[in-house]
Amino acid sequence: MPEPIEIQLKKGVLGLCVLALLAREDSYAYEIASRLSDAIDMGEGTIYPLMRRMQSDGWVETYLVESPAGPSRKYYRLTEAGHQALQGQGREWRRFADAVDSLVAGDATTAPETPDTQKGGDA
Amino acid sequence: MTRAEFMSRLKTGLVGMPTSAAADILNDYESHFEDGLAEGRSEAEVAEALGNPDRLARELKAEAGIRRWHQEQNPSSATAAILAVLGLGALDILFLLPLLMSVIGVILGGYAAALGFFAAGLGIMVAGPFASPPGGAFAAILAGLGFMAASVTIAAILTVFSIWLVNGVVWFARLHYRLLKPALEPQAS
Repeated sequence: MPEPIEIQLKKGVLGLCVLALLAREDSYAYEIASRLSDAIDMGEGTIYPLMRRMQSDGWVETYLVESPAGPSRKYYRLTEAGHQALQGQGREWRRFADAVDSLVAGDATTAPETPDTQKGGDA
Repeated sequence: MTRAEFMSRLKTGLVGMPTSAAADILNDYESHFEDGLAEGRSEAEVAEALGNPDRLARELKAEAGIRRWHQEQNPSSATAAILAVLGLGALDILFLLPLLMSVIGVILGGYAAALGFFAAGLGIMVAGPFASPPGGAFAAILAGLGFMAASVTIAAILTVFSIWLVNGVVWFARLHYRLLKPALEPQAS
Protein backbone atom coordinates (compact mmCIF):
# COMPACT_ATOMS: atom_id res chain seq x y z
CA MET A 1 0.00 0.00 0.00
CA PRO A 2 1.58 3.29 -1.10
CA GLU A 3 2.05 6.13 1.38
CA PRO A 4 -0.60 8.89 1.25
CA ILE A 5 1.91 11.50 0.09
CA GLU A 6 2.86 9.29 -2.82
CA ILE A 7 -0.76 9.00 -3.90
CA GLN A 8 -1.35 12.71 -3.66
CA LEU A 9 1.76 13.49 -5.65
CA LYS A 10 0.73 11.05 -8.34
CA LYS A 11 -2.73 12.42 -8.61
CA GLY A 12 -1.36 15.92 -8.87
CA VAL A 13 0.87 15.14 -11.83
CA LEU A 14 -1.51 12.79 -13.60
CA GLY A 15 -2.84 15.57 -15.82
CA LEU A 16 0.67 16.64 -16.74
CA CYS A 17 1.60 13.05 -17.66
CA VAL A 18 -1.44 12.73 -19.92
CA LEU A 19 -0.60 16.01 -21.65
CA ALA A 20 2.97 14.83 -22.20
CA LEU A 21 1.84 11.47 -23.62
CA LEU A 22 -0.63 13.12 -25.99
CA ALA A 23 1.95 15.67 -27.13
CA ARG A 24 4.00 12.78 -28.52
CA GLU A 25 1.11 11.09 -30.33
CA ASP A 26 -2.67 10.94 -30.36
CA SER A 27 -4.01 8.09 -28.31
CA TYR A 28 -7.12 6.45 -26.89
CA ALA A 29 -8.07 6.17 -23.24
CA TYR A 30 -7.24 2.49 -22.75
CA GLU A 31 -3.75 2.98 -24.10
CA ILE A 32 -3.16 6.12 -22.03
CA ALA A 33 -4.44 4.38 -18.92
CA SER A 34 -2.30 1.29 -19.34
CA ARG A 35 0.83 3.29 -20.06
CA LEU A 36 0.24 5.50 -17.04
CA SER A 37 -0.64 2.64 -14.74
CA ASP A 38 2.57 0.87 -15.77
CA ALA A 39 4.64 3.97 -15.14
CA ILE A 40 3.10 5.49 -12.05
CA ASP A 41 0.74 2.82 -10.75
CA MET A 42 -2.63 4.60 -10.71
CA GLY A 43 -6.19 3.34 -10.90
CA GLU A 44 -7.04 2.98 -14.58
CA GLY A 45 -10.61 4.19 -14.13
CA THR A 46 -9.38 7.63 -13.10
CA ILE A 47 -8.44 8.35 -16.69
CA TYR A 48 -12.05 8.93 -17.75
CA PRO A 49 -13.00 11.69 -15.31
CA LEU A 50 -9.63 13.25 -16.10
CA MET A 51 -10.12 13.12 -19.88
CA ARG A 52 -13.56 14.68 -19.46
CA ARG A 53 -12.14 17.48 -17.37
CA MET A 54 -9.43 18.14 -19.93
CA GLN A 55 -12.00 18.11 -22.68
CA SER A 56 -14.18 20.66 -20.93
CA ASP A 57 -11.10 22.78 -20.24
CA GLY A 58 -10.47 22.71 -23.99
CA TRP A 59 -7.08 21.00 -23.71
CA VAL A 60 -7.97 17.92 -25.74
CA GLU A 61 -10.42 17.11 -28.51
CA THR A 62 -11.68 13.75 -29.70
CA TYR A 63 -12.16 12.04 -33.03
CA LEU A 64 -13.32 8.57 -33.97
CA VAL A 65 -11.15 6.04 -35.74
CA GLU A 66 -12.45 2.84 -37.28
CA SER A 67 -11.21 -0.11 -35.31
CA PRO A 68 -10.41 -3.45 -36.98
CA ALA A 69 -12.32 -5.28 -34.26
CA GLY A 70 -15.53 -3.93 -32.75
CA PRO A 71 -16.87 -0.36 -32.70
CA SER A 72 -14.81 2.69 -33.66
CA ARG A 73 -12.38 4.03 -31.13
CA LYS A 74 -12.31 7.48 -29.53
CA TYR A 75 -8.93 9.11 -29.98
CA TYR A 76 -7.71 12.16 -28.08
CA ARG A 77 -5.65 14.92 -29.63
CA LEU A 78 -3.97 17.87 -27.87
CA THR A 79 -5.35 21.31 -28.78
CA GLU A 80 -3.35 24.51 -29.01
CA ALA A 81 -4.50 25.37 -25.47
CA GLY A 82 -3.39 21.89 -24.39
CA HIS A 83 0.09 22.46 -25.74
CA GLN A 84 0.27 25.73 -23.85
CA ALA A 85 -0.94 24.04 -20.67
CA LEU A 86 1.74 21.39 -21.09
CA GLN A 87 4.44 24.02 -21.44
CA GLY A 88 3.27 25.97 -18.40
CA GLN A 89 2.75 22.93 -16.18
CA GLY A 90 5.95 21.32 -17.39
CA ARG A 91 7.92 24.40 -16.44
CA GLU A 92 6.26 24.52 -13.01
CA TRP A 93 6.94 20.83 -12.47
CA ARG A 94 10.61 21.20 -13.41
CA ARG A 95 11.04 24.06 -10.99
CA PHE A 96 9.28 22.17 -8.21
CA ALA A 97 11.15 18.91 -8.85
CA ASP A 98 14.50 20.69 -8.99
CA ALA A 99 13.80 22.46 -5.71
CA VAL A 100 12.79 19.21 -4.01
CA ASP A 101 15.76 17.38 -5.52
CA SER A 102 18.24 19.89 -4.23
CA LEU A 103 16.63 19.95 -0.79
CA VAL A 104 16.58 16.18 -0.50
CA ALA A 105 20.10 15.75 -1.88
CA GLY A 106 21.43 18.78 -0.01
CA ASP A 107 20.20 17.37 3.28
CA ALA A 108 23.27 15.21 3.78
CA THR A 109 25.93 17.75 2.77
CA THR A 110 24.75 21.14 4.02
CA ALA A 111 22.56 20.35 7.00
CA PRO A 112 25.32 20.21 9.66
CA GLU A 113 26.40 23.77 8.78
CA THR A 114 23.47 25.97 9.69
CA PRO A 115 23.57 29.65 8.63
CA ASP A 116 23.78 30.67 12.31
CA THR A 117 27.01 28.89 13.08
CA GLN A 118 28.56 30.14 9.84
CA LYS A 119 27.79 33.72 10.77
CA GLY A 120 29.21 33.19 14.22
CA GLY A 121 32.45 31.83 12.74
CA ASP A 122 32.86 34.83 10.42
CA ALA A 123 32.44 37.40 13.16
CA MET B 1 -16.16 -8.09 -9.57
CA THR B 2 -17.57 -9.05 -12.96
CA ARG B 3 -17.94 -6.67 -15.88
CA ALA B 4 -21.74 -6.65 -15.53
CA GLU B 5 -21.50 -5.85 -11.83
CA PHE B 6 -19.05 -3.01 -12.42
CA MET B 7 -21.18 -1.52 -15.19
CA SER B 8 -24.39 -1.74 -13.19
CA ARG B 9 -22.83 -0.07 -10.16
CA LEU B 10 -21.44 2.65 -12.38
CA LYS B 11 -24.82 3.08 -14.07
CA THR B 12 -26.59 3.35 -10.72
CA GLY B 13 -24.08 5.96 -9.62
CA LEU B 14 -24.69 8.05 -12.71
CA VAL B 15 -28.45 8.29 -12.20
CA GLY B 16 -29.50 11.93 -12.38
CA MET B 17 -27.14 12.81 -15.21
CA PRO B 18 -28.53 13.59 -18.68
CA THR B 19 -29.02 10.18 -20.33
CA SER B 20 -26.89 10.97 -23.38
CA ALA B 21 -23.93 12.00 -21.22
CA ALA B 22 -24.32 8.93 -19.02
CA ALA B 23 -24.52 6.67 -22.09
CA ASP B 24 -21.34 8.27 -23.40
CA ILE B 25 -19.53 7.51 -20.15
CA LEU B 26 -20.81 3.93 -19.96
CA ASN B 27 -19.61 3.49 -23.54
CA ASP B 28 -16.11 4.57 -22.53
CA TYR B 29 -15.95 1.95 -19.79
CA GLU B 30 -17.50 -0.77 -21.99
CA SER B 31 -14.80 -0.23 -24.59
CA HIS B 32 -12.21 -0.27 -21.81
CA PHE B 33 -13.40 -3.78 -20.94
CA GLU B 34 -13.34 -4.73 -24.63
CA ASP B 35 -9.76 -3.53 -25.00
CA GLY B 36 -8.74 -5.26 -21.79
CA LEU B 37 -10.31 -8.57 -22.78
CA ALA B 38 -8.72 -8.32 -26.22
CA GLU B 39 -5.37 -8.07 -24.45
CA GLY B 40 -6.10 -11.29 -22.64
CA ARG B 41 -6.98 -9.88 -19.24
CA SER B 42 -9.91 -11.27 -17.32
CA GLU B 43 -13.04 -9.26 -16.51
CA ALA B 44 -12.11 -9.30 -12.84
CA GLU B 45 -8.62 -8.00 -13.54
CA VAL B 46 -9.91 -5.13 -15.66
CA ALA B 47 -12.56 -4.23 -13.08
CA GLU B 48 -9.98 -4.31 -10.31
CA ALA B 49 -7.61 -2.05 -12.23
CA LEU B 50 -10.39 0.42 -13.01
CA GLY B 51 -11.11 1.06 -9.36
CA ASN B 52 -14.25 1.62 -7.35
CA PRO B 53 -17.23 2.26 -9.68
CA ASP B 54 -19.22 4.18 -7.04
CA ARG B 55 -16.40 6.63 -6.52
CA LEU B 56 -15.76 7.00 -10.24
CA ALA B 57 -19.45 7.75 -10.77
CA ARG B 58 -19.37 10.49 -8.12
CA GLU B 59 -16.34 12.07 -9.70
CA LEU B 60 -17.80 11.92 -13.21
CA LYS B 61 -21.06 13.38 -11.99
CA ALA B 62 -19.35 16.28 -10.24
CA GLU B 63 -17.32 16.97 -13.37
CA ALA B 64 -20.48 17.04 -15.49
CA GLY B 65 -22.26 19.29 -12.99
CA ILE B 66 -19.39 21.77 -13.01
CA ARG B 67 -19.29 21.77 -16.81
CA ARG B 68 -23.02 22.46 -17.02
CA TRP B 69 -22.66 25.34 -14.56
CA HIS B 70 -19.93 26.86 -16.73
CA GLN B 71 -22.16 26.57 -19.79
CA GLU B 72 -25.41 27.90 -18.39
CA GLN B 73 -25.45 29.95 -15.21
CA ASN B 74 -28.91 29.62 -13.73
CA PRO B 75 -30.27 28.59 -10.33
CA SER B 76 -30.91 24.98 -11.35
CA SER B 77 -27.43 24.38 -12.74
CA ALA B 78 -25.94 26.12 -9.70
CA THR B 79 -27.86 23.81 -7.35
CA ALA B 80 -26.87 20.77 -9.39
CA ALA B 81 -23.20 21.75 -9.41
CA ILE B 82 -23.10 22.41 -5.66
CA LEU B 83 -24.92 19.18 -4.83
CA ALA B 84 -22.66 17.14 -7.10
CA VAL B 85 -19.60 18.73 -5.57
CA LEU B 86 -20.89 18.04 -2.06
CA GLY B 87 -21.44 14.44 -3.16
CA LEU B 88 -17.69 14.10 -3.53
CA GLY B 89 -17.59 14.19 0.23
CA ALA B 90 -14.48 16.29 0.52
CA LEU B 91 -14.58 16.99 4.22
CA ASP B 92 -13.51 20.62 3.98
CA ILE B 93 -16.68 21.46 2.14
CA LEU B 94 -18.74 20.03 4.97
CA PHE B 95 -16.87 22.23 7.41
CA LEU B 96 -17.67 25.19 5.21
CA LEU B 97 -21.34 24.26 5.03
CA PRO B 98 -22.63 26.36 7.97
CA LEU B 99 -20.83 29.42 6.64
CA LEU B 100 -22.11 28.72 3.15
CA MET B 101 -25.65 28.35 4.47
CA SER B 102 -25.57 31.71 6.21
CA VAL B 103 -24.19 33.42 3.11
CA ILE B 104 -26.94 31.83 1.02
CA GLY B 105 -29.45 33.03 3.62
CA VAL B 106 -28.18 36.59 3.33
CA ILE B 107 -28.42 36.41 -0.46
CA LEU B 108 -32.00 35.11 -0.31
CA GLY B 109 -32.86 37.86 2.19
CA GLY B 110 -31.39 40.40 -0.22
CA TYR B 111 -33.55 39.07 -3.02
CA ALA B 112 -36.64 39.30 -0.80
CA ALA B 113 -35.77 42.90 0.08
CA ALA B 114 -35.33 43.74 -3.61
CA LEU B 115 -38.72 42.22 -4.34
CA GLY B 116 -40.26 44.25 -1.51
CA PHE B 117 -38.70 47.46 -2.82
CA PHE B 118 -40.03 46.71 -6.27
CA ALA B 119 -43.57 46.15 -4.94
CA ALA B 120 -43.38 49.32 -2.85
CA GLY B 121 -42.22 51.31 -5.86
CA LEU B 122 -45.06 49.95 -7.94
CA GLY B 123 -47.52 50.85 -5.20
CA ILE B 124 -46.20 54.41 -4.94
CA MET B 125 -46.33 54.87 -8.68
CA VAL B 126 -49.85 53.53 -9.11
CA ALA B 127 -51.59 54.64 -5.91
CA GLY B 128 -49.44 57.69 -5.04
CA PRO B 129 -50.93 60.17 -7.51
CA PHE B 130 -54.43 59.65 -5.99
CA ALA B 131 -53.28 60.31 -2.42
CA SER B 132 -52.43 63.98 -3.13
CA PRO B 133 -48.73 63.57 -2.23
CA PRO B 134 -46.34 66.43 -1.52
CA GLY B 135 -44.89 67.70 -4.80
CA GLY B 136 -47.81 66.51 -6.88
CA ALA B 137 -48.82 63.36 -8.73
CA PHE B 138 -45.87 63.52 -11.13
CA ALA B 139 -43.36 63.43 -8.27
CA ALA B 140 -45.05 60.31 -6.86
CA ILE B 141 -44.75 58.54 -10.20
CA LEU B 142 -41.06 59.42 -10.43
CA ALA B 143 -40.47 58.29 -6.85
CA GLY B 144 -42.13 54.97 -7.62
CA LEU B 145 -39.96 54.52 -10.71
CA GLY B 146 -36.91 55.34 -8.62
CA PHE B 147 -37.76 52.66 -6.07
CA MET B 148 -38.23 50.06 -8.77
CA ALA B 149 -34.95 50.96 -10.47
CA ALA B 150 -33.14 50.69 -7.13
CA SER B 151 -34.60 47.25 -6.51
CA VAL B 152 -33.53 46.03 -9.95
CA THR B 153 -30.02 47.29 -9.24
CA ILE B 154 -29.91 45.42 -5.94
CA ALA B 155 -31.09 42.22 -7.61
CA ALA B 156 -28.48 42.56 -10.35
CA ILE B 157 -25.67 43.04 -7.84
CA LEU B 158 -26.91 40.04 -5.86
CA THR B 159 -26.96 37.92 -9.01
CA VAL B 160 -23.37 38.79 -9.83
CA PHE B 161 -22.42 37.98 -6.26
CA SER B 162 -24.25 34.63 -6.32
CA ILE B 163 -22.50 33.56 -9.54
CA TRP B 164 -19.20 34.51 -8.02
CA LEU B 165 -20.03 32.50 -4.89
CA VAL B 166 -20.90 29.33 -6.82
CA ASN B 167 -17.73 29.66 -8.89
CA GLY B 168 -15.76 29.99 -5.69
CA VAL B 169 -17.29 26.90 -4.10
CA VAL B 170 -16.76 24.83 -7.24
CA TRP B 171 -13.16 25.97 -7.55
CA PHE B 172 -12.49 25.21 -3.90
CA ALA B 173 -14.07 21.77 -4.08
CA ARG B 174 -12.21 20.77 -7.20
CA LEU B 175 -8.91 21.89 -5.78
CA HIS B 176 -9.37 20.02 -2.55
CA TYR B 177 -10.94 16.96 -4.03
CA ARG B 178 -8.05 16.48 -6.39
CA LEU B 179 -5.56 16.63 -3.56
CA LEU B 180 -7.48 14.89 -0.84
CA LYS B 181 -8.98 11.95 -2.61
CA PRO B 182 -6.40 9.41 -3.64
CA ALA B 183 -6.29 8.04 -7.15
CA LEU B 184 -5.66 4.64 -5.72
CA GLU B 185 -8.22 3.90 -3.11
CA PRO B 186 -7.87 0.69 -1.17
CA GLN B 187 -10.05 -1.59 -3.26
CA ALA B 188 -13.20 -1.97 -1.18
CA SER B 189 -14.73 -5.22 -2.27
